[in-house]
Amino acid sequence: MRPVYIAGAGMTTFGRSEWSLIKLASVASLSALHHADLGEIPVDGVVVANMGAARVNKQTALGSALVDQLALHPAAAESVENGPASGASAFKVGVQAIASGMADVVLVTGVERMRVVNGLEGTDFVASLSHPEAEYIYGVTLPSLAGMFARLVMDRFGIERRHLAMVAIKNHENATKNPYAHIQQTITMEGILTLPEAAVNNPPIAEPLHLFDCCPVSDGAASVVLVSADVAAKLGGPRVLVAGIGQATDTHAVHEREDPTDLKAVRLASEKAFAMAGLAPSDIDVAELHDAFTILEIAESEAAGFFPRGEGHKALERGETALDGRLPINPSGGLKAKGHPVGATGVAHLVELTWQLRGEAGDRQVPAAAAGYACNFGGFGNNVVATVLKREAE
Amino acid sequence: MSDNVLGAKCTACGTVSYPAHAVCPDCRNEAFEPIAIGGEGKVLTFTDVYALAIDYETRYLRLAIVELDDGIRVTGQLLTDAPKLGQRVRTTIGVVREPGDRAIHGLQFVPT
Repeated sequence: MRPVYIAGAGMTTFGRSEWSLIKLASVASLSALHHADLGEIPVDGVVVANMGAARVNKQTALGSALVDQLALHPAAAESVENGPASGASAFKVGVQAIASGMADVVLVTGVERMRVVNGLEGTDFVASLSHPEAEYIYGVTLPSLAGMFARLVMDRFGIERRHLAMVAIKNHENATKNPYAHIQQTITMEGILTLPEAAVNNPPIAEPLHLFDCCPVSDGAASVVLVSADVAAKLGGPRVLVAGIGQATDTHAVHEREDPTDLKAVRLASEKAFAMAGLAPSDIDVAELHDAFTILEIAESEAAGFFPRGEGHKALERGETALDGRLPINPSGGLKAKGHPVGATGVAHLVELTWQLRGEAGDRQVPAAAAGYACNFGGFGNNVVATVLKREAE
Repeated sequence: MSDNVLGAKCTACGTVSYPAHAVCPDCRNEAFEPIAIGGEGKVLTFTDVYALAIDYETRYLRLAIVELDDGIRVTGQLLTDAPKLGQRVRTTIGVVREPGDRAIHGLQFVPT
């Protein structure tokens, strides 16, 4: 396999947007292309990640639409729909194209515009990834799967609601240092948990998860430019290597898993990604996890191999995952506060890691970050893509 | 309309899957007999979900995963006032979703 590098990264601000789906995708793409500064080097292919446009925006074939907007014809164009893991899946498709020698420059853009529909419709569109006969018909939504998972995991490992709140407080704080983040508001333990008014501020969403345990519904797009080693050498500048990618699946219905508290697909995908990269979890300097719900940041931090099982909340409590901790997790603010435009999320993880590894992450820069890890969690853990990036000496 | 919720019993190894798959997860056989799913069991986990999808006009739904005494696990609606982990329940069949003028039947759990 040929090595693949990320030459540029860019994104739109996440939040509620008046821009069309393709406008969002175009703005993120141009920002990544300008960052890469390709000059006369042509783009061979475009891969667009998205989950809901066919239903929510009544638009399909987004790869073709984006190529046209960017006047990149006759470049190849693909669209990837893989639930909430669409972003990292599209990234993987782009990496494979270059690794195989079929392309030298590929633009990967994730986009979602889901605030055009009301909350019920938006929740229902994401719930359509659940098992149609064994889950969906009962009113199962993603928050409900997360709520049932949280109750089980919390009971088993002694995790309390205050630990979940610590994830939210940390990620909100990080997001205030990220100009692209959806939510720019610090929160306190008192305001969301311990004072009487916390009951009003932080109502239940799927017990034991409350409002501040859940990511917001966001519009937005994120984009990276992938290049071969030859192109990377011509471009010069900082080199971010796609060191490893691992993907694993698990049962569609959550109840069929042997141990429903085990994020097996995260574990297996991470093991593959680390093996391909020749690195261990202890080599990672910065991680972006898929905290659509606070409990997931804790559980993924264990399944990825950063902490032993049942110890993630203790590491969090010791501050090890804070921006100035041993392993900063979600310096971007995470899905919790940066926002979660579903198809964009997996790409946005890699945008943040690219900036971190290039030393371009501003006030939230993790000092001397040389290796990064991302977990894009599809379904409710039934399709997971883990990625390891590494900075190379120029 | 059948009132039963059906799983699939593998004709080769006898493993019961719910939901049904085209291939047996245990032995990779591709032939099954339908088998009614239900009985008594215990609540493995539950939630009161307020983030509802379309088709519901209630304020929240109480959902659960139940482990039946025969080892099969099922997801459904929990009809108890004071749910707790490990609680004994039995399955019934009721209307679980009403899209438009249709009524979809499925598993509900009541205390034993």
